[in-house]
Amino acid sequence: MINQSQFILLLKITVLAFIVGAIALPSLIEMVSPFWLLLFFIYWLIYSDSNGIYSSAFVLGILLDVFQGGILGQNALALVISSAFILSVKKSFFVSNLTTQQVYVFIASLIYLIVFLITHISVQGLQIQWLVLFVPFTGAILWPVVRFLLAKLKQ
Amino acid sequence: MRLLKLFVPIFLSIILIVLDARFSYLDNFKRFTLTLLSPIYLVVDLPSQVIDWVNDKGSENELLVSQNDYLEGQLIELKAKLQTYNNLTLENQKLSNLLESSYLLPDHNVKLARIKSISQSRLSKKIIINKGLNDGVTLSDLIIGSDGVVGQVTEVTPMYSTVRLLSDPTQHMPVKNSRNGIRGITKGLASNDRGMILKYIPLESDIKLGDIFMTSGIGNSYPPGYSVGRVKSIDENLDPSFMTVYLEPTQNLNRLELVLIIEEKND
Repeated sequence: MINQSQFILLLKITVLAFIVGAIALPSLIEMVSPFWLLLFFIYWLIYSDSNGIYSSAFVLGILLDVFQGGILGQNALALVISSAFILSVKKSFFVSNLTTQQVYVFIASLIYLIVFLITHISVQGLQIQWLVLFVPFTGAILWPVVRFLLAKLKQ
Repeated sequence: MRLLKLFVPIFLSIILIVLDARFSYLDNFKRFTLTLLSPIYLVVDLPSQVIDWVNDKGSENELLVSQNDYLEGQLIELKAKLQTYNNLTLENQKLSNLLESSYLLPDHNVKLARIKSISQSRLSKKIIINKGLNDGVTLSDLIIGSDGVVGQVTEVTPMYSTVRLLSDPTQHMPVKNSRNGIRGITKGLASNDRGMILKYIPLESDIKLGDIFMTSGIGNSYPPGYSVGRVKSIDENLDPSFMTVYLEPTQNLNRLELVLIIEEKND
């Protein structure tokens, strides 16, 4: 179960991730912008001691799918699997320096991207812009900023 | 137990993906959830609304008067053009009747809407407009700008609608060449920001650079006669039997703020 303070933090983080994700950006920047919900969810996952991580990831992923008008379950599947990776390195992540954390975020974003693209290609065919492959890099680069901002939000 | 906790959401996600890709059972759930999430658009749009409000307050009276004069001039010019258009429509209908054709120019209602947000997802090309179910917008309504078609309504909530752009890879639209009536179906190009492709056009077809393709109205999904795209290039080497035509949308989205929602009159 998720305790009340963790739930409130998750709620804040989710709303913020959705707002940041909905801001209109130039198409080039939009294409390489990170998976915001994943980054925000990683922060919550690392700094919370809750149990309902996979179910939370599933629900948030479904909400994102509906919000983006994509295939229902696509972001949910990607977020659940990426969360499983982060959860497996949680102890190490928590005590690591920023650079190591960025490597973990890069791997989690890469897993997210692979799952996301597999579902996209299997349903809609090979219709992608190749710039999307840069998303794990931008996720890793922006992780320190996200961590700093969310730490302020948590206080 | 931990594996079970992991595999249940994975399994559920896969089931949802299959259900959503193959069937439409979940459409009501999606519409309801999107309605709950739609206040987020309001928050995202707040800064631009504040800027608009400040701009409006800051505009000088003189500037507004000159803008008004200019717009009145434009209105008169458009009214004059409309007279010619109405005459042409009548003439067209007379000719259609003479030819015993069942084709008549359709009558449409139009509604003005403002673009709230552009492209929320990196693999699809969509915009959000500030009109929804409460304003009578329905699924599949055609959205146009001043220079041509923008896209089609794919999701509707009480206050907002999502419009899939012409250049989205999953958007298909039946079109015809305005010069000679050659028909085809456009498809958005994922690899190109603003492009569309027209496939399976016979090699000997008379298509030239700069030709305008318009909605053909075939299938009754889209009203006919609205500009879709201009021929940008033609490739005859991709397929030995057909030519591939690349189109650029006639409507430039970069500076588009207002769009029109086209719906057929149900009199």
